[in-house]
Amino acid sequence: MSAIVSAVKLHLNRRRQVFLVPLWIAGVVGVISVVIALIFWRGGSQPGTAEWIQSSRSNPGIIYALGGFLVYLGVSSVGTAYPFALMLGSTRRAFAIGTLAWQALIAAYVAVVFLVLELIEVATHHWFVGFYAFDIYVLGAGDPWRLLVIVFLGVFTFLAIGAVFAGSWVRFGVRGPQLLALGLVVVIGLGIAIVVPGLGAIVAAFQLWWLAVAAGVVIVLASLGTWLFLRSAVIR
Amino acid sequence: MTNAIEIQSVSRAYGGSKALDGVSLSVPEGSILGLLGRNGAGKTTFMSLVAGQDRPSSGYVEVFGERPYEHESVLSQVIFVRDNQRYPDRYDLKDVLRIAPVYAPNWSTEVAAELIDGLRIPDRTPIKKFSRGQLSAVAIVLGLASRAPVTLLDEPYLGLDVTARRFFHDVLLRDYTAHPRTIVLSTHLVEESEALFDRVVILDHGRVRLDVASEEIPEQAFVLSGPSEAVDRLASNRVVLASHTVPGLTSATILGAPDTGLRSEAGRRGAQVSSVSLQELVAAFGADVVEPALLEGARA
Repeated sequence: MSAIVSAVKLHLNRRRQVFLVPLWIAGVVGVISVVIALIFWRGGSQPGTAEWIQSSRSNPGIIYALGGFLVYLGVSSVGTAYPFALMLGSTRRAFAIGTLAWQALIAAYVAVVFLVLELIEVATHHWFVGFYAFDIYVLGAGDPWRLLVIVFLGVFTFLAIGAVFAGSWVRFGVRGPQLLALGLVVVIGLGIAIVVPGLGAIVAAFQLWWLAVAAGVVIVLASLGTWLFLRSAVIR
Repeated sequence: MTNAIEIQSVSRAYGGSKALDGVSLSVPEGSILGLLGRNGAGKTTFMSLVAGQDRPSSGYVEVFGERPYEHESVLSQVIFVRDNQRYPDRYDLKDVLRIAPVYAPNWSTEVAAELIDGLRIPDRTPIKKFSRGQLSAVAIVLGLASRAPVTLLDEPYLGLDVTARRFFHDVLLRDYTAHPRTIVLSTHLVEESEALFDRVVILDHGRVRLDVASEEIPEQAFVLSGPSEAVDRLASNRVVLASHTVPGLTSATILGAPDTGLRSEAGRRGAQVSSVSLQELVAAFGADVVEPALLEGARA
């Protein structure tokens, strides 16, 4: 157990990257959103109108901006931290479990931070001037519980995907991520080919919780994959 | 004396090439082993197996009587900093110093501070931007301040200036004396380091060519030098590890101890017999002059 805690501490040791950079990115996206909103405002749109709220809430910029960083964080949490952890005396098992626990911890941290920011945004009537950065559709459109689940699973998924690609690199070198990406493209392509005839019915029956299940499946498969890659990975 | 490290018939192959080939050796607890040999001889692979960072293709490795691979309690007693050690992104020295004690129960903040000061390691520069010597200095801090019962130092001198190397020697010996542990040190700076070693192992082509206590080194070989004709005649029927010839003169490193007959005949023929240095021995074993099978007996 202590070895797993040590692995979590190892990941948390990069304090600035782990705790501050997500906030920084969220802040930058907020500023950019405000600038864009200002442009629309100057162009004649009126804050508070139905059209303004509709277009402001449709801004998914936070996902794109944070997603890229989180995948990188997932990659570096294995790609460079793994050899370092083994040097310090970690087992592969403790490192893999500790990495998974750290991913969950960071996902919870970002979810709570986003919840707080959303609550502030709503409480201040969208930063006093009608700007939407967190009260947006992709984050649950103001529903705090939905935001918590979306951000937690989203962050967890991005980190887990980054980790499994890095695990394949640690195990097989540059061929690892290439083959993994190729395999995923083939599997996803075949999956789409199978379901595409019934796509209309699937879209009609779509439930939001399907995405939560899909994220859970991705997290489980990516974590298993990371473990399978790392358990036999040799540092050279 | 109990052995901290025990290796039996270990081979490790990567693809088609064997990094280690049937290696058997043991390292007594509380000793300093010099692991010597040419680049690619198998030194880092040996350390990697001891540190549980790799598994042998055949044979077994034991540290304190247990297989180290994925063995939590054994690995907590071992530290192995590679010469090309990778650090997490954006790490600086403070990050290293914050996390290392979490893994190293015997971590000495005082030794770490002394080494950082003496080796002049910058504490705000990202490790990614460190020079070769500064990377070696960080590895030395981790290796020595952890006070791990088994400390594996892989080429710790790379890029270090002469003052830093001497300082490292002083701290190593002082801390080792105060806190005995088992140290395996690989290096190419043989002359500078040989005073540290209790025992020496020379690897070449993944095999153990020599495994002796330091005081037994002079008995392992000798150097015969003089007129080429005399040296050739005296060296016939002996195992010549390496030889150097300039017009008319030859110097040959010969396996074994010189007997009285050889000494007197050398004197008559104008040749000299001298003892071999450890550096000459390492160079000779790596010279590819002798069939490896002829060297298998060079162990004590």
